[in-house]
Amino acid sequence: MREAPATAHGTEGKAGRLSDRLTLSTKRVLWAWLFLAVPVVFYGAIRFWPTAEAFWISFTDWNLLRPAQFVGLDNYRRLLADPLFWKVFANTFLYLILGTPVSLVLSFAIAYHLDRVRFLHGFLRALYFLPFLTTAVAMAWVWRYFFQPVPIGPINNLLASLGLPAQPFLRSTVQALPTILVPAVWAGMGFQIIIFLAGLRAIPTSYYEAARIDGLSERAILWRITLPLLKPTLVFLVVFASIGFLRIFDYVYNMNTNDPGGPLDSTKPLVIMIYQTAFKSYDIGYASAQTVVLFLILLVLSLLQLRLMRQPT
Amino acid sequence: MATIALEKLVKRYGPTTIVQGIDLTVAEGEFVVLVGPSGCGKSTTLRMIAGLEDVSDGLIRIDGRVVNQVEPKGRNIAMVFQNYAIYPHVTVAENIGFGLYTSTLPKAEKQARIQEVARSLGLEALLDRRPAQLSGGQRQRVAIGRAMVRNPSAFLFDEPLSNLDAQLRGQMRIEIKRLHQKLGATSVFVTHDQVEAMTMADRIVVMREGRILQIGAPMELYERPIDVFTARFIGSPTMNLLPGALASRDGADGVALEDGGAFVRPPIALTGGGGGTNVLLGVRPHDLVLTGSPDAGAFTLSGTVAVVETLGTETLVHVDIGRRSVIGLAPGRAVPVPGQRVTLAADPAALHLFDAATERAFPRPLLQQP
Repeated sequence: MREAPATAHGTEGKAGRLSDRLTLSTKRVLWAWLFLAVPVVFYGAIRFWPTAEAFWISFTDWNLLRPAQFVGLDNYRRLLADPLFWKVFANTFLYLILGTPVSLVLSFAIAYHLDRVRFLHGFLRALYFLPFLTTAVAMAWVWRYFFQPVPIGPINNLLASLGLPAQPFLRSTVQALPTILVPAVWAGMGFQIIIFLAGLRAIPTSYYEAARIDGLSERAILWRITLPLLKPTLVFLVVFASIGFLRIFDYVYNMNTNDPGGPLDSTKPLVIMIYQTAFKSYDIGYASAQTVVLFLILLVLSLLQLRLMRQPT
Repeated sequence: MATIALEKLVKRYGPTTIVQGIDLTVAEGEFVVLVGPSGCGKSTTLRMIAGLEDVSDGLIRIDGRVVNQVEPKGRNIAMVFQNYAIYPHVTVAENIGFGLYTSTLPKAEKQARIQEVARSLGLEALLDRRPAQLSGGQRQRVAIGRAMVRNPSAFLFDEPLSNLDAQLRGQMRIEIKRLHQKLGATSVFVTHDQVEAMTMADRIVVMREGRILQIGAPMELYERPIDVFTARFIGSPTMNLLPGALASRDGADGVALEDGGAFVRPPIALTGGGGGTNVLLGVRPHDLVLTGSPDAGAFTLSGTVAVVETLGTETLVHVDIGRRSVIGLAPGRAVPVPGQRVTLAADPAALHLFDAATERAFPRPLLQQP
């Protein structure tokens, strides 16, 4: 390995040129870093540096007007004492705890059955994927219209025509959060279905045939073969969906534009609180502290994913 | 153990017919190999016996009972798949245990069965391992163990050795054969490899384009192939086929070869004269020996050596004769050189004769053993 470049260059130049003095493996490393430098610099500038900056700002009282002053952990103390933060924290986890299982169970059920459908398979798959390609704002507004009271909202109109009581949906502190989750779950399902389908397709058919010969029931095949073999797919989607629901913003904001996070903060997630603290109250230091908390939650979740993935399937 | 009978079995996929009405009876304890090129319907036939494919027409009987509409689990058969179909997320013991899924045995007895099967396959030390930690041969044994554990009435093998390397394949061939001799289980084995068919089968079923061409014991197929396809498919290297025409010379019926103009009298009753009929004269490379002084009356061919394959145990010589190339055998350790002029000779009794148009063989007497 080390001899090769010396002979290769021996004919074309004098010993002592820089490229001649480097071994082949050093040159490979240099080239690799040259190419890697592009994304590294890019990410450093637009991702890591602002992240580090946010950490720093979270220890200051910067409000855009006067210079930032170091205030230590004041922002964090204030956060822990803020009842709104705890309300928002609970809301955020409610989005996560309701949204992730519901969306995954639904999309798995659809993928599992879609996998067996031969008729119009591609068309159906495209149909399920379509919401994922559509703008969240547009969808949020359409769904918002669905959930309006009589005589505007189709859902309440339907309830009325069936003689059932109208529901307040977005106007209720209890119903608003699940109502917002409906379009959020619906929009994410297209992606999850595609990933589940890919996972299902990757399981060799002979596994199922062997199981049929051994006499396993459909249910046993699902629980003892399909689901265990889908574990990597499942872990990926759980984490992916969880991060999505923890960062929910656009559906909340657009389903209730006159009072984002309302009514009475009953649907407000962490990201809306951060947005309002930073760009409505201009309390940048405090908003940064909230960002750091969200960042830590997401970090813990991602590390958990790595742990789960490393376990043997 | 069971008998398996196929009666006019047909499999259609839409407008295409994959299996065109085959009849086959597998006797109790028999090891039958279905062999043929890919797409000949052998795997589909096996999968119909297993119950993994619906039968389009005809009957499948296992032990006399028609099983066309019986679920795979109700047929008491076991199947070994090409990719083994053992589950990566459970241990070897659990994989073997899947074979007992429907059995009502108490847990302890199931464990004892798994242990027993593992012992007979040399897997005891590996019972707690995951398939990822096993070699290809070991995985194959786990798949066989899973099939064995249930005491099925028949074993079905779907190209189980094609994912193994050549050496391991040879080993597993012997192991499966030995296992069959021990268990005496009715077995149907599908392969595209004629060596596997020859070495393992009690009877070989040669299939092509959804039909059975010939059924017979390995040596029967080797000695008396009924058509050109079987003649070329069985035996390695493939049989040499030389075009010629039936003719009469000096009052004797024989074959005039196209290349070299040689006239031979194969040991076949060429009744009816049939002068001018185009034929193919077949001679196996192992019957065509390079010689300096051919016996009187021997079938001889002369040509120049093109390529020499030294295999150690034997040396195969490719000889150009006219526009054709034939393969012969160099005796002993003699290695001819390319370009050398040589003469190949065969005992006329070893010759095969086929009708060039129908590709069917002229009936041939059994070879007399010296």
